[in-house]
Amino acid sequence: MSTTILTVEDDERIRTSVRLALEDEGWQVVESETGEDAIARFPTSNADVVLIDIMLPGIDGFEVCRSIRRESDVPIVMVTARADTHDVVAGLEAGADDYLTKPFVPKELSARIRAMLRRARTPPPGNPHLTFGELEVVPQEGEVLRNGEPVHLTKTEFKLLVELASQPGTVLSREDLLDRVWGHGVFGDGRLVDVHIRRLRTKIEPDPANPTHVATVRGLGYKLQG
Amino acid sequence: MPEGSRPWHEPRVGLRSRVALSVTGVSFVLSVVVSLTVFAVANQVLLDAREEAASLRTLKNASVVLSTRDISESNPGDVLTALSNLSDTSNPAVIWDGGANSQSLNSNFTADDLPAQLRDRALLDEEAGIMRYQTDGHTQVAVAVPIPNQRAAYFEVTPLDDIADAMSSIRLALAGAVVVSTLLAALLGSWASRYTIRPLTRVSTAAQSVALGNLDTRINYEEYRHDPDLAPLVENFNDMVQALQQRINRDARFASDVSHELRSPLTTLNAGLQVLDNNRSEMPERAQQALDLLASDVDRFTQLVEDLLEISRFDAGAVRLELDDVALVPMIRNTVGSLSRHEVPVVAEPGTEDLVIACDRRRLARILVNFCNNADKYADGATHISVSLHNPDGDDPLAEPTVRIGVEDAGPGVPPDMREEVFDRFNRGDQGGARGADIGVGLGLALVAEHARIQGGRVWVEDRVDGGSGARFVVELPVLQVRSGEPEEDLSLASPESTGNLTLTGEHRALPPLGTTGAAEDS
Repeated sequence: MSTTILTVEDDERIRTSVRLALEDEGWQVVESETGEDAIARFPTSNADVVLIDIMLPGIDGFEVCRSIRRESDVPIVMVTARADTHDVVAGLEAGADDYLTKPFVPKELSARIRAMLRRARTPPPGNPHLTFGELEVVPQEGEVLRNGEPVHLTKTEFKLLVELASQPGTVLSREDLLDRVWGHGVFGDGRLVDVHIRRLRTKIEPDPANPTHVATVRGLGYKLQG
Repeated sequence: MPEGSRPWHEPRVGLRSRVALSVTGVSFVLSVVVSLTVFAVANQVLLDAREEAASLRTLKNASVVLSTRDISESNPGDVLTALSNLSDTSNPAVIWDGGANSQSLNSNFTADDLPAQLRDRALLDEEAGIMRYQTDGHTQVAVAVPIPNQRAAYFEVTPLDDIADAMSSIRLALAGAVVVSTLLAALLGSWASRYTIRPLTRVSTAAQSVALGNLDTRINYEEYRHDPDLAPLVENFNDMVQALQQRINRDARFASDVSHELRSPLTTLNAGLQVLDNNRSEMPERAQQALDLLASDVDRFTQLVEDLLEISRFDAGAVRLELDDVALVPMIRNTVGSLSRHEVPVVAEPGTEDLVIACDRRRLARILVNFCNNADKYADGATHISVSLHNPDGDDPLAEPTVRIGVEDAGPGVPPDMREEVFDRFNRGDQGGARGADIGVGLGLALVAEHARIQGGRVWVEDRVDGGSGARFVVELPVLQVRSGEPEEDLSLASPESTGNLTLTGEHRALPPLGTTGAAEDS
């Protein structure tokens, strides 16, 4: 079954040209002009990735993102008008896995989508079982256990945890993580890592405000410890 | 107005001093006039009173003398006795008939000491007289009373030295009053002038603030609303700043709006081009050439729009600085290493290898990449990047340590007279006319300057350190430590607010101007 991408974009020209470019990658594209339509269409769309423009008539992209995230772990890319504003953090907080700023190049978009699909499909190689105190990571099974109880993580959060877990005690810089998890280049945004680390902590740390597992190393990055 | 046409006597003293001097001068003249008048009147009044008293007493004494006896027949001794019996004849007095017959109360006082005019009038014209005169520097008043039918007269002299003493005291007091009132006037004038000029000072301060970019500056109109002289000044000033602010905001918004409006069509263009490029092999060769041209210009156009958006954010003052702890040298290695070109060694000088500074990671990356792009465009790429620490000189207590990142190349270098211009917008150096495909749009270095400035740093270009041919582009950043604490401490992500973000909306214009001037000699 081929990969399906749901695009939510009110500008018909952008929607069509992006569809053409994505179809050239061999992907199927389902288009929505409004947020309402996207939410209605999502359950039956079998979308593997959702692309949401923040500026939409009617309900905005954040709301669409939150709504879809409530029922699915599907990777979501937000498209923002500007990288400098709160939009980025707000989009990530709403549950987006990644973001792009207009004007973007379709190659960049497909690279992001491919990175997300990789995250979603291939179980990472490596140690079959990693333990950090009460925390157990089973990369092969895509499973994280806390005190024996499964913890629900999105694909991106899981990939991030596995990358940290694969080199326990080693500091991974934001750039490293951006490259490994998101496939970003030099202008990758540290906020992407920070927001996901924060979300990860709320799920796996006993006290997210005083994390014991995912530690920040000042100026360098993050590391996972027992 | 040209310098030469100014009148040579244009006042060189400030308005405040002029007001203060005028008040002081007028007060001085007034107090001198008043003092002189008071002095003259007091003098006259005192003298008149004393003369009147003297003549009354003389008349009284004369009547006593007359009632005693007829002096021509009498025994001089009796007269003397009579005189000495007078109530208060401590004053010199004499009875004289114009000849040898003279009887003096004081042995050392004779008729010769009297003014001749008074003597003659009393003896010849038999008229009473009063006359003020001076002997040996002493002022005195002589009163003559003719003795009827005797051809003689009684003279009495009253010294006025005490009045002279009193007058000199008054003179001293008045002079003191002049000095004091002049000093007070000087103080008052200075205060009044400061008070008067205060609105002007306010306007001046406000204008300075506006010049520094604080376009929200206004003078409180309510304070001056009831002042018919100042209200129009304040109102006009505020209107002017308002108009200025509107114009600047409109310009900034226009650039931003235009760039924003270009985003959507550019996204479509990029996507459309991608589709065309995907189907490139089906195209005739001429169409492929056209496609390449189109793609290259859309690339440039995209970069231009992104740069314009970035720079219009600076112009609009809507810049958000996101300070983050950055391990400098690893960050530079990462950034430069990820640019897919030949390897550029990063030389970390002592003290910088483990340096962690607070800066905006994205902006610093942008600066480094733009420097490297610039070196690629004009000099076959950067040869190396050096990182060095600079401690302030001892004589400037405000100076903070800085870190300098220098990107060196082996190209033609930048001639000294171009070293400021290269950071101007749309300046493309010598290749300005030739818009080759690999030449940027000319905002890169201008953006670098803005990115550095917003972080309290500066950029400049100088000669290579080793003196060889080439340029050294330097960014200098303050070694700030927003947070201190244990290396393992987790501070950044407990809450969204604690990430050390610093919003500088609208304030960045107040930062010191870009320090590109004369920077080459202070390295």
